Amino acid sequence: MTPYASFFYFGLLLYPLAIGLVLAWFGKLTPGILLGLTLGMVLVQYSRLQAEGPNAFDKVWAIAGFALYQLAIASAFLHVRQRLQSKPAFWFAIILSLLPLALVKAAPTNAGVTLIEFVGVSYVTFRSLDVIIGIEDRLITALSSRQYVLFLLFFPAISSGPIDRFRRFAGDLSQSRTRQSLLADVDSGIQHIMRGFAYKFLVAALIKSHWLEPAESAHGIWSTISYMYAYTLYLFFDFAGYSAFAIGVGSMLGIRTPENFRLPFLARNINDFWNRWHISLSTWFRDHVFMRFMLAATRGKWFRSREVASVAAFYVTFLLMGLWHGVALRYVVYGLYHATLLSIHNGFARWRRKRGRGEPGLGWQVASTALTFQLVCFGLLIFSGRLG
Amino acid sequence: MTVDTRVSVAERVIAVLADVAEDNVVRTDPDIPLFEQDVLDSLRTVDLILALTKEFGVDISPAELDRSLWATPRHIVAFMEAKVGA
Repeated sequence: MTPYASFFYFGLLLYPLAIGLVLAWFGKLTPGILLGLTLGMVLVQYSRLQAEGPNAFDKVWAIAGFALYQLAIASAFLHVRQRLQSKPAFWFAIILSLLPLALVKAAPTNAGVTLIEFVGVSYVTFRSLDVIIGIEDRLITALSSRQYVLFLLFFPAISSGPIDRFRRFAGDLSQSRTRQSLLADVDSGIQHIMRGFAYKFLVAALIKSHWLEPAESAHGIWSTISYMYAYTLYLFFDFAGYSAFAIGVGSMLGIRTPENFRLPFLARNINDFWNRWHISLSTWFRDHVFMRFMLAATRGKWFRSREVASVAAFYVTFLLMGLWHGVALRYVVYGLYHATLLSIHNGFARWRRKRGRGEPGLGWQVASTALTFQLVCFGLLIFSGRLG
Repeated sequence: MTVDTRVSVAERVIAVLADVAEDNVVRTDPDIPLFEQDVLDSLRTVDLILALTKEFGVDISPAELDRSLWATPRHIVAFMEAKVGA
């Protein structure tokens, strides 16, 4: 069942929310109980009781197996890291952890691969990679299996993120909430859920039926342009709406996931855009790929200049981000497109700083924002596959 | 003795920060929101990590800092004081 997509799902949500909130009110919402609620929701969400033939619980088994597999890797790597630092061990752990996702992306129709894939595997894998990287950096020095599995499978965010960070999540778990902060969380949760309804069921749904679908079936340059804007706006409202649900439900249960979108179409430039769109994914790539690549490249003097290194870092990071969406040409081109835009923008910003230019005037800022929006829309047109 | 060490850690951090950011505003305004005002971005954060690692001989990983942790010069000073002191 697709989360947050039907009234049945929202009805179902009332159970863990009611249980969670009542327990929280009496100060008894423990991580163990949260884990129980998560496992219960995952069981219901991923079982297909109306399925004929195949086992109704095959996806539940897939998730259970995946979680245990990742837990084994993390625990083993932690065991190693507590004794010594071994880059080969680190990369081995990363590769093993990525393996299910890589198989699902690269060979989605393979019979064996369909056994292991499940909705949300991309997001959950990135959570497990976050833990491995945290262990390597010695920011995670102990791992409770219960916390780890809860973090991995946390039901509000399992299907499409946001991609949380383990240390941040564990920090929330360890905080016992006063009744005052519980009420604040409930308030925030309700506001987020209302936002989710407005964005997803109202705005996105209307865009889809009245703009996107008509433009989709029409041909020609003008309908493609219309489709481009429709798709961009639809994707935003649908995804931001979903994120609002995930954040709202999590918040009520004591997990204060950061926002995933922040007025992205007001981005002043393409750098700024990536601080506002799918924030959990872009910051994950920024911290775990881009900055690590730059640090290694600078220390190891891989490139003749910092500028060249940053361009390489952009391409590597965004190529991987493109592939994360799927192994398809449109995703690769989307990644390379943004890497190119970022390289150009950063080169331009460097040039401006050298020339001692101050803050641009309002006119320039408006023009820059409008241009950024156009570039973003075109990128999403590539992403949508319409140009294929 | 403790007061002297604290001051010099803070001074060293600000000196490194001013050098990396190529902007003296970090000295004059210790509460300036560095990322919002574009004093720091991802690339300069990398430089800052390298410079602070070199200056203090401690390991800093990108996973360790979120932008709220390094939001202002004051925040970064506090972060480094904790790292060096601990």
